[in-house]
Amino acid sequence: MEENDTLRSVYELTQLMSSLNDTRRAILLALAHVYPRSVSGVQLGRLIGYSGKSRSLYRGVLMHLQEDQMILIDQLTPKLYSIRINNEHPLLAVLVNMCREYGKESKEIYLRALEEE
Amino acid sequence: MDYNLKKAQALYKDRERIGLSALLVVAAVAFYFFYSSGIHVLPPPPEWLWPLEGWASGLPEVIASFNTLGFLLSLALMLLAYGVWSWAFLPSPAVMYTMGVLRGVFGSKVEIKYSIGGRFRVFLDDGQHIDIACKTKDIDSGEWFQYRLVSSPMGADNLADVALRNGMSVSNGRFRSWVSNDEFHHRVLLMAKAMSVASPSP
Repeated sequence: MEENDTLRSVYELTQLMSSLNDTRRAILLALAHVYPRSVSGVQLGRLIGYSGKSRSLYRGVLMHLQEDQMILIDQLTPKLYSIRINNEHPLLAVLVNMCREYGKESKEIYLRALEEE
Repeated sequence: MDYNLKKAQALYKDRERIGLSALLVVAAVAFYFFYSSGIHVLPPPPEWLWPLEGWASGLPEVIASFNTLGFLLSLALMLLAYGVWSWAFLPSPAVMYTMGVLRGVFGSKVEIKYSIGGRFRVFLDDGQHIDIACKTKDIDSGEWFQYRLVSSPMGADNLADVALRNGMSVSNGRFRSWVSNDEFHHRVLLMAKAMSVASPSP
């Protein structure tokens, strides 16, 4: 029974991830790897190699991800946001767990990109 | 981006150019029309408000006249008409693309209504429907074609969980989501699936 539930979640997670476009997918994967860290908008943009304006990243992508409760955004100052993945989302929690379990090396790569200020 | 959408984007840009050049011509004609038939002067402003000397004394006669009022009014009407035009009618390749995707998801027999303002409604079997609004050239996100999906109200009590598991949010018992054009097919499919999960099985 337990295993069935996990498989079902993985199935749904695969479906969810493949339904998102590449920007959103990159954001979720990056945030899941660096969890529980939160990143700022600029850091996130650099992490996923986003070349557009940060305003359009925020208004067009992050706002919608937040509306669908996949990420959490805290506004620290009017221009500074702290963005992290929503670990209470039933499917993204699975993703975060998988990243923790099997994604140590990838996590290092993501974190190294974050450290290079 | 899909080929149809690329065509739609090019058409949209063309439309802007056509609109602008038509506006120039019509504005010139309107200018001639309003200023060639004699100037109807507004009552002059009091002297203390606008002390007039030299060439400036001619200003109220031509600029502050009923002709200028009419001309500006006609300009505003033209801009309004252009705004309504571009809001109401999607470029037809965009309609073809949207219809094509919807037909691909729901089959060719399902009824789809297209109405002005780039809105679509898909009627599903059991009296449910999905509203889809297409927004062209969204200024906030810089996306060319963006869709807003809203389902008909659902009755189940685990709506929030179903919505989360399909990457949507729920408010007032309706599933909602913003979707960019490259996610359109997949996420419409997910919404249809979520609606069949959430509706009580017969």
